[in-house]
Amino acid sequence: MRKIELKKSGKHVIELKKPGEEVEIVGIFETKGDERISVEVIIHHQAPRTQATTILKGVARDRGYIKFVGRIVIDPDCGQSNSFLTERILLLSDQAHAEAIPDLEILTDDVRCSHAASISNVSDEHLFYLMSRGLNKKQAEKLIISGFLET
Amino acid sequence: MARFAKKQTPDLDKKLKEDSYEHGDSFSTADYKHISQPGLSERVIREISSFKNEPEWMLQQRLKAYEIFKSKPMPNWGVDLSEIDFDQIRYYLRPTEDQVSSWQDVPSEVKDTFDRLGIPEAEQKVLAGVKTQLDSEVVYGSLKNVWAKYGVEFLSMDEGLQKHGDLVKEYFGKVIPAADNKFSALNAAVWSGGSFVYVPKGVDVKLPLQAYFRINAESSGQFERTLIIVDEGAKVHYIEGCTAPNFSSNSLHSGVIEIFVKKGAQCQYTTVQNWYKNIYNLVTQRAFVEEEGQMIWTDFNMGSKATMKYPGFVLAGKGAKGEVLSMALAGDDQHQDTGAKAIHLAPHTSSTIVSKSISKNGGRASYRGLVSIGPKAHRSKNTVICDALLLDSKSRSDTYPVDKVFNSQVEVQHEATVSKIGDDQLFYLMSRGISEEDARKMIVNGFVEDLIRKLPLEYAVEMNRLIDHEMEGSIG
Repeated sequence: MRKIELKKSGKHVIELKKPGEEVEIVGIFETKGDERISVEVIIHHQAPRTQATTILKGVARDRGYIKFVGRIVIDPDCGQSNSFLTERILLLSDQAHAEAIPDLEILTDDVRCSHAASISNVSDEHLFYLMSRGLNKKQAEKLIISGFLET
Repeated sequence: MARFAKKQTPDLDKKLKEDSYEHGDSFSTADYKHISQPGLSERVIREISSFKNEPEWMLQQRLKAYEIFKSKPMPNWGVDLSEIDFDQIRYYLRPTEDQVSSWQDVPSEVKDTFDRLGIPEAEQKVLAGVKTQLDSEVVYGSLKNVWAKYGVEFLSMDEGLQKHGDLVKEYFGKVIPAADNKFSALNAAVWSGGSFVYVPKGVDVKLPLQAYFRINAESSGQFERTLIIVDEGAKVHYIEGCTAPNFSSNSLHSGVIEIFVKKGAQCQYTTVQNWYKNIYNLVTQRAFVEEEGQMIWTDFNMGSKATMKYPGFVLAGKGAKGEVLSMALAGDDQHQDTGAKAIHLAPHTSSTIVSKSISKNGGRASYRGLVSIGPKAHRSKNTVICDALLLDSKSRSDTYPVDKVFNSQVEVQHEATVSKIGDDQLFYLMSRGISEEDARKMIVNGFVEDLIRKLPLEYAVEMNRLIDHEMEGSIG
C-alpha cells in the first residue's frame, strides 16, 4: 500500500491508475497567529478495484484559517472501488474560521464511497471530565488536541 | 418443504390499481383569454402589469428586475441551461377570465384535467384550502370556512397584491431580492400567479393548504410567486404539486417562494414535483426564520428535464430551527441538481439537512449545499446527511457540499455515502420468494422511507406508488 503524507498548502492530485492499487493519504495541519492554510486534494480513481482512504485534520488557533477541499472522482468502469474521505477541523478560538468542502463525483455504480466532514470546538464536557481528574485547562486542552490529531 | 412453497396472494383490487390519468394529457389553448407573443421585452412586462391592474410601484419593480435579468450572465455551474431560448418562451398565458371559488364554474376542459388528477376529491377530504394554477393564472381557489373565520388568508398572489398591498409591499422581495440570481430576476419581472398566505398570530392550520401547478401550453413559462407569512406562534403546512403534459419543445418553470416565519411560528413547505421530462425547473426558495421559529422544507423531485433548486433558510433569531428533507430521482436524460442552503446568523440555532438521491438509466443526481455559520451564531449546530443510490453503471451521482464556519462554538457535521443496491440485500429478499423487481422496489422505498414519513398519510401512499411507477422495468 502506498502512503502519502501531505504537508503543504496547495493542490494535490492523486491518481490511481493500476487496477487494485491502494493508497492511504494523511494530512495534518495546525495554524498559529494569522496563518492561512488551504489544502485541495483530488483523489482520481481511473482503474477498477482501487482503494483509497484520505484523512485530513486541522487545528485552527488564534486568527487562523483552514480550508479543506477534498474531491473523490471515480471514472466510469472502475467497479469495486472503495474510497473514503474524512475532513475534521478543530477551532480553538473565536477569531479562527474554517471551511470544509468534501465533494464526490461518482460515474460508476459498483463502488462504495463516503465522505464525512466536521467542524467543532473543544467540547466543555471533555474539558470538564479531564479537569475533574486534576488537570488544569491548558493541560486538558493539550491532551484533547493530541487525541484529535492521532490517526 | 411447505416453507419454500410459493405463497398464493390474491391480486390487488383492480380499482385500487386503475390509473385513469394518463401522463401527457393536454387540451387545446384556443379558448385562452390571452396568450402573449414569444419573447421578453419591456412591452410584455407592461402588458402583464396592466392586465393585472397593478399599482405603479409593482410595475417599477418589474422593470427594474428586467434590467437586472438582462445584466446577469447565465449560471455556468449546475445543470446545462444552454438549450433555454428566452426568445421562444411565451411569458404570460391567461386561460380563464377570473379565478372562481366554486368548482362548478370552472370551464369544463380545465375541470376535466384537474378531475383526472383527483383534486376536488382530495379537497373535500383532507385539505384546508386549494389553489389550482394553469399556466400563468390561478383558475380556482377555495378555503374552508373554519380557517377563514380565524383570519387565515389563502389568496392568489394577484389577489393578495390587491387586497393586502401594504403587506406585499413590506415583504415582497425581502428574503429573495430580484438580484439574487438570474432566474429570481426573471421571476420578479414577469411573475404571475402563485399563492399569498397569511396565518394570524397563534392560529394552527391543522390541515394542509394545497396548490396545484400545471403547465398546459407548449413552450411557455410559468413564473409563480409565493409569499407565506406565518405570524407569531402560528403553524401551517403548505403543499405544492406540479405536473405538465408531454410536448416536444421545452418549457420553463421558474418560481420564487418567500416565507417569513415569525417568533415561535412553524411552517412546513412540501413540494411534490413531477413535471414532464421537457421542463426546466429553476426555483428559488428561501425562508426567514425569527426567534424560536421553525421551518421545514420537504422536497420531492421526480420529474423535469433539469432541476436546480436549493431550498434555504436564514436563521436570524435566537433558537431558530431549520430542516430540509429532500429526495431526488433522476432517470433517463434527467439532471436533478438539488440541495439546501442553511445560513445561521443567531446563537443557539440548529439545522438538519437530509438528502437522498436515486439515479437510474443514465440519470444524474447532484447534491449541492451550503452551510454558513456566522460570527454571532454561537452554540449552533448543523448536520448534513447525503445518501445516494446508483441503480446502474450508466448513472451518475455527485455531492458538492460547502461548510463555512466563522466562530468556534459550533458543531458542524457532514456525511455522505454513495452505494448501489447490495447483492446480499437482493439475495435475502429473493430467497424469501420476492421477484427481483419487487425486491428492488422494496429496497428503494426503504431507502427513502424516513423522508416519506414526514408527509401526511395520503401523500405518503401516493409517493410510494409514484416511486414504484418510476422503478417499473428498471432491472439493470
